[in-house]
Amino acid sequence: MDSFFKVFSAAYGGGDGYALADTLSPIAPASQPDKLRRFVHSTNYASVQNDFKYRLLYDKASPLRLNVEEGKAWVEVYVSFWKACVEILQAEAAINDNQKPSWEKVYRAWKEVSDHLNRGYTAAGFENWTVPCLYVVGKYLRMFAIKADEVASSLEQTTIDFNEDLSLDDEQHANLEDAARQLNKVFQLCLSDRASLEESRKWGIYSIINLLFKTYFKLGKITLSKNILNALRAYRGDMPELDAFPLSHQVTFKYYVGVISFLDEKYEECETCLTEAWYMCHKDSLRNKELILTYLIPCHLLTTHTLPSQALLEPYPYLQTLFSPLVRCIKQGDLSGFDAALAAGEDEFVRRRIYLTLERGRDIALRNLLRKVFIAGGFEPAKTGEGSVRRSRIRLVEFAAAVSLGSKETMETDEVECLLANMIYKNLMKGYIAREAGMVVLNKKGAFPGTGI
Amino acid sequence: MASSWGGQNIPPAPGTGAPGTTQYFQPAPPAYHSVQVRQSFGITQQPPFIPAQFVPPPPAVSIPQPVTAQRPKTEWPASVRRYVQRCFDPKNLDNDIPRAEIEAKLKKAITSASEKEQLHSIDWDSLPLPQEKIRSDRVQATWHQQSVDLRLGGNGNGNTTLSQAAKKRKSKEMGDHEESNPPWRAANNQNGIESRITYQPLDKRQQQSKEDTTKASSKFQKNLEKRQKRFDGGYKSTYRSPSPDAAAGPVVGTCPTLFKQYFRLTSAPNPANVRPEHILTQTLELLKNKWRKGANYAYICDQFKSMRQDLTVQRITNDFTVAVYETHARIALVNGDLGEYNQCQTQLRVLYAKGLDGKSLEFKAYRILYFILTSNRTSLNDLLADLTIAEKKEAPIRHALDVRSSLALGNYHKFFRLYLNTPHLGAYLMDMFVIRERLAALCNICKAYKPSVKLRFVTEELGFESDADAAQFICDHNGQHLIEERDDGVHFVTGIPAAQLFEASKNAIGKPNGQP
Amino acid sequence: MSASPAPGSVSTVKATFSDKPADTKPAAALEEDDEFEDFPVESWTQEETDVPAGNTHLWEESWDDDETSEDFSAQLKEELKKVEANKKR
Repeated sequence: MDSFFKVFSAAYGGGDGYALADTLSPIAPASQPDKLRRFVHSTNYASVQNDFKYRLLYDKASPLRLNVEEGKAWVEVYVSFWKACVEILQAEAAINDNQKPSWEKVYRAWKEVSDHLNRGYTAAGFENWTVPCLYVVGKYLRMFAIKADEVASSLEQTTIDFNEDLSLDDEQHANLEDAARQLNKVFQLCLSDRASLEESRKWGIYSIINLLFKTYFKLGKITLSKNILNALRAYRGDMPELDAFPLSHQVTFKYYVGVISFLDEKYEECETCLTEAWYMCHKDSLRNKELILTYLIPCHLLTTHTLPSQALLEPYPYLQTLFSPLVRCIKQGDLSGFDAALAAGEDEFVRRRIYLTLERGRDIALRNLLRKVFIAGGFEPAKTGEGSVRRSRIRLVEFAAAVSLGSKETMETDEVECLLANMIYKNLMKGYIAREAGMVVLNKKGAFPGTGI
Repeated sequence: MASSWGGQNIPPAPGTGAPGTTQYFQPAPPAYHSVQVRQSFGITQQPPFIPAQFVPPPPAVSIPQPVTAQRPKTEWPASVRRYVQRCFDPKNLDNDIPRAEIEAKLKKAITSASEKEQLHSIDWDSLPLPQEKIRSDRVQATWHQQSVDLRLGGNGNGNTTLSQAAKKRKSKEMGDHEESNPPWRAANNQNGIESRITYQPLDKRQQQSKEDTTKASSKFQKNLEKRQKRFDGGYKSTYRSPSPDAAAGPVVGTCPTLFKQYFRLTSAPNPANVRPEHILTQTLELLKNKWRKGANYAYICDQFKSMRQDLTVQRITNDFTVAVYETHARIALVNGDLGEYNQCQTQLRVLYAKGLDGKSLEFKAYRILYFILTSNRTSLNDLLADLTIAEKKEAPIRHALDVRSSLALGNYHKFFRLYLNTPHLGAYLMDMFVIRERLAALCNICKAYKPSVKLRFVTEELGFESDADAAQFICDHNGQHLIEERDDGVHFVTGIPAAQLFEASKNAIGKPNGQP
Repeated sequence: MSASPAPGSVSTVKATFSDKPADTKPAAALEEDDEFEDFPVESWTQEETDVPAGNTHLWEESWDDDETSEDFSAQLKEELKKVEANKKR
């Protein structure tokens, strides 16, 4: 209790939000593996309330002079924190005994901490420099909910909805759903603060939003993220600019907004967000940079038709495995190779939700193939006084042969025409099909826009 | 059957020896063999062991003796042993189900899990017991018998909303035997869109339903796989056999009336107004009959909603539940009631994910088509991630996935070939986006070809029944002037203005009809 | 706000919380290991980001003209024969 209080009063007295938030961390630091246990054992259920009250409010020796309302609210926070720690130790003990830990109890106890903390802001005037506490408590709220859902042994029967349908859907995430609602309250708490910006809880908002994003992703309810973004937009102008926040908040936020746009097929927006996130990311966070590139690379393929260079992929073996085969086939215009690479990586692509985007890279592979046919066609017999001109009338069968390269079956001409029509429709190739003549007539200049021929 | 169990040597699956992938417990026989089982049961809520005298084996079946010596290498996770224990817990035994049958099912489940290296990944603690499965299979078998190849109904005369063609299709798809049209049915009515569907020849369909029946035996196995795929460890089973001793919580209905109007409940229902499962089983059959005889859709739909409600309040979640939702979904599809169809589909997803099988392939294929229809890319993404490799190879799902990729790549040639060969009732869904896709393909053709193409080409590429249908479609979208009769036949004049015309039509459609 | 506990304690979190075998994870869900990680520090300087030096190009064109086109021409001719043979049949 003494050592705890020493840390608390140093953090509180110094107005150090991060240090204060650390007092609410339920994880013992490596340097003090026994911290939690000693903290729990320093008091007991009977006296925990009075112990904290005494330390925070009545101890004459204490350098702190807390406002009574505020002091009482902190007492509540720490009492509930202590109780939650008891549950955590029990869960850990259960694991050590090879028994099922009740993370659900931990979750519920931790939610109390969160409730008391929220109340501190709404009713007891907690100041905005303390908002790091909201993040730390929210972060573990989510973590415990996930643990509780994994075990979920003591889950209560969900209430029956008396409509015509079953509502069995959400049981496997019951606690995390609950955590999402709680985090949403915290989000509102930050968002709706009317204090002037310097004193506003709004400074906590992106860290909470990022927690919410992670939660919604885990729940598979990514659309809910959009509600958050809408709410944020509604308060725009009344909110510090994003670039005024710490880089860690910015990068995480941009990453999630980027992925959300990606899933919505808003590739331009996605590219902007992820590119910014990539450039701002800490250089040692390889894992995060890898995640950013996982979506930025397929995005680039569609927006700018560009591929990652060897230099870009070099530090990321995972990305090399993931993308290199496709990249190679696109460059070479190898359709059957592309199909094979897409099929080979299908599970991982699908899991990452990039399959549908990468699939569309086939257009670029096809364009490159047709381009090669065009180049292989050589030049018209030179006329005097003119530069050399490429042969621009190409028989359909030539394209049909190219498309069939490497595959066992020859594609029907009608289907080949269909693919060519698509290229023309999408402006990847300029020209037209003269069906009766069995010819494709390409533009003499810029037959393949943007590719130098 | 039972005795082979003891001698069955299930070798450790290849790869299980890899470091870190397994945490086998000490060797022990897998079974209901009390002594061995008991050692690892100190911590479960189950009784630590079952005294042998409490387990009355049916006289004819000998309890297999564990032959530990023969199977020294097989080690079973505690969860598997708990599951076995649970199977033979007296309170879970049912006099109606012979022990041998339970043993057989159990053996199959475990063997299959072992072969597939899923012993550690299956959530055995929430897996339905073999007897629960047998019980629901029996219900299912009854349902199969009564409805073998009568998917649903016959000629829906009472249904005025259906087009002529759709009615025909319905009667075919629903397996009406009176009709023996060839798979292609020529129709030349105004409504070109609905008039072009292939039907599977009848004999093929019958064959298929036979296959379905024989497949039933491996259903349990499939369920295991699926459960394993879908659930993380936190999943808690709500599987309930509709037994009356589940007193706390769900209602136990006593209503003997077969038909009941649907009312939205705002408070707990009175058991006297809720039909128990054995009544509902009859209701379903009778409703299918009514539907076949052409009962009004609104009535049928209402009846189905009340059935679903009765199932819900009683928390009946088994193969019968699946059958109710599947039947309702089909009827809704045929009637173009997308809202109701979607509700059923959403519930079916949950039911299939719980390991109940039904016609999951058919309905997962619809689900893919539905997301294509509604351009719901996020859900499509999730659905793709949900499919197992085996499922992706199955015809209906393969078809739907091919439809998806052909559209994604703009391959209208392939798309319309697939459209003409749509299994089950998928064509009802595809009908709803085929206009959109025809317009898109016309845009393509108009921009890519010069100066014209034969109308015949359009007919073939866009899957029209006849040149007349193709011409009608073009005219319907204000392209009369693009059709020209020449000496060598009818031409369709292409070009940028034509492309813009169809582009405008396509944009005007926007999202398909029936979308919320 | 302290985005995460001190670096040393990250491993403690993992040790405490990873009592589940990995194979019970649903294969397909976007899962924890797909999650953006907390940064060990709250903020950092421009120097600590990784803007590549001058000429390193990160993105390149999608086609490759370096490849010997004679090979391709030969392949194409070969395939063309097949296609045309098929057509005559």
